[in-house]
Amino acid sequence: MSGKVFIPQDKLASALERLNEKVPVWVPVSQGADRWGIDFKPFRAGMVPVMDRQSTALPKEVIFPQVQTLMTFEYVKAPEDPGRVQLKLEEPPEAGNALVFGARPCDVRGFFTFDRVFTEGPFVDNQYKDRREKTLFAVLLCREADEACFCSSVGSGPADTAGGDLWITPVEGGYVVEGLSERGGSYVQLLGDPATEEQAAAASRSQEEVSRQKVGSLDPSGVVQGQKDRFEDKDFWRSMVNQCLGCGVCTYVCPTCYCFNITDEMRHSRGERMRSWDSCMFAVYTQEASGHNPRPTKLERYRNRVGHKFSYFPEKYDGMIACCGCGRCIRSCPVSIDIRKVVENLKERSHACA
Amino acid sequence: MSLLSERLGWIVFEAETKRLHELVKAVLPELDGIVGWEQGFDALHATPVFVNREEDVHRLMWSPLCVHNLSGYLVKTPPFLPRDEGRKVGICVKGCDSRSLVALEQEKFLGRDRLHIFGIPCEGTVDWRRVMKKIPLRGVSSVRREGPELKVEDSRGVHSLPWEESLARRCLRCAHPNPLVHDVLVRDPVEPRIKKDEAYGLVEEMDQKSLEERLAFWSAELDRCIRCYACRNACPLCVCQDRCIVETRDPKWLTQKMGISEKFMFHMIHSLHLAGRCTECGECERVCPMEIPVTLMKEKLNQITREILGYEAGIDSQLVPPLLTFNPGEHEL
Repeated sequence: MSGKVFIPQDKLASALERLNEKVPVWVPVSQGADRWGIDFKPFRAGMVPVMDRQSTALPKEVIFPQVQTLMTFEYVKAPEDPGRVQLKLEEPPEAGNALVFGARPCDVRGFFTFDRVFTEGPFVDNQYKDRREKTLFAVLLCREADEACFCSSVGSGPADTAGGDLWITPVEGGYVVEGLSERGGSYVQLLGDPATEEQAAAASRSQEEVSRQKVGSLDPSGVVQGQKDRFEDKDFWRSMVNQCLGCGVCTYVCPTCYCFNITDEMRHSRGERMRSWDSCMFAVYTQEASGHNPRPTKLERYRNRVGHKFSYFPEKYDGMIACCGCGRCIRSCPVSIDIRKVVENLKERSHACA
Repeated sequence: MSLLSERLGWIVFEAETKRLHELVKAVLPELDGIVGWEQGFDALHATPVFVNREEDVHRLMWSPLCVHNLSGYLVKTPPFLPRDEGRKVGICVKGCDSRSLVALEQEKFLGRDRLHIFGIPCEGTVDWRRVMKKIPLRGVSSVRREGPELKVEDSRGVHSLPWEESLARRCLRCAHPNPLVHDVLVRDPVEPRIKKDEAYGLVEEMDQKSLEERLAFWSAELDRCIRCYACRNACPLCVCQDRCIVETRDPKWLTQKMGISEKFMFHMIHSLHLAGRCTECGECERVCPMEIPVTLMKEKLNQITREILGYEAGIDSQLVPPLLTFNPGEHEL
């Protein structure tokens, strides 16, 4: 009925096997029998997807791999003149299609931040754009928000379908799946039998119920000014991030962090140019060749992290906040730093100033 | 008597917290601040806090959720240390954390006379991921210990879990629950869970495996490493900080690649730099977002150090760590 299908819980793996024959599928799977965390991996027969909690690491990897070869190069002697050396460049093979099954609204939202930077020009990142266009998302209706989540505070929500191609709604005994985009819709029938009226109705009820939920109570308005007012206030930043360890967890589990590094790796006359995730929390992020570091301590680094997401990015991209409220930076932080608290405090101080 | 104290497990932590507040208030004017723990973003998490003013003392708390080893803050940039000679800073430590202080003093990173140590005998810290694995919780509102059980209240009701099953692996193999150095103790000392000789069970289990099996085990574990370096940064004895080999460009030791060999190299160097120094506080393993048992590598090296040199790190501040000395007469190496 109305293009919705039902996948019984015990048929999920076989449905994914059928889907995987058409398009390579990424699924959230456990990190190990005695582990809590889950992670997105390319589907293989026998894998059991874990759909009841948010992943620790991200499906960001599918479109923006942690390490990616941008090109390979080789210095070769010109046959007609061996004294002359030519540089041979080769682009890496084109990326293939992919479908991320069970991504949450926040996981998909993260790419909206990327899109503004990588696809809108003046410079378009073709490798990113290529993978982005070829990747579909089967978005899960999220009923697992916890104390670290705040997606509704930053323009999304647990029933957000933006950027999705398929919509997965957990119901009693399984999942109702429906198409959201044309491409996504073409895979629906393959996944299961048509949903019964009761199943379809149950899914609609759940969708309505979840879409009424407000996850998080952060109000980010006024932060742009707060960041400006408090930029030089070292005591404020110290009091906010004294406990930061300066590791890169928050950036590496963040769906919107897009900063990267480029390095050449060469052996003899051949090599490759690689792009790898960088982290603004690391000392070398802003280390200059002279030895000077404009962000010498964690204080300046964390200030930049908050500023970039809640102030500089919105200023540049018509108010869009570069945070999807997934809460991973809070949950995975070794010392439980809460970015919401920093944002709230920035605002309070700026009100006090006014 | 025992029944009463078991039933009032929750209140015991309240009592310890209250005692901590009293002890801190008594010396705060003489200190340039104190680092301890306060409630974190939910009932399952605490977070480190720096307190300078008496009106903030109430934020400090003690519970088995105070998982963080705070001693790293004393040595890592910018170090939390007294401003002037003759002044002190305060720090809250569990048994394991106190060993880091001893080790840092042994290596001359810290002077004992600069610290006022609030020691907290500890019956183990809770591993929130382990709890979640056992009981997938939604909307946790309170966590407390009731005798042999951890009681957790969430949106669906009250759940219980045997206390031992809620503890971090490091705590189940802890032979030093009582702070080895302290100015004051917040509560009475507790019985160690095990003897030190019993602490290397998992290492022995690994040793039973063939080389191929061990390689397969570590390859699968390290495959998940995202190179965030939380393990390194959380380690109070990882003192190279911004000069770490994984980031130096000249000389360049590691590439940015995500292969097993790069990750292996990093973790091996991390472990070898800690050989005979690591006090097994388990912070590297606790902070790993990918749940890789990275402390196990250091446990193996410590087991070797114990066997060959009869040495245990972070016990006696007067001893020189074996790998920080050179003795031409040593013949068993």
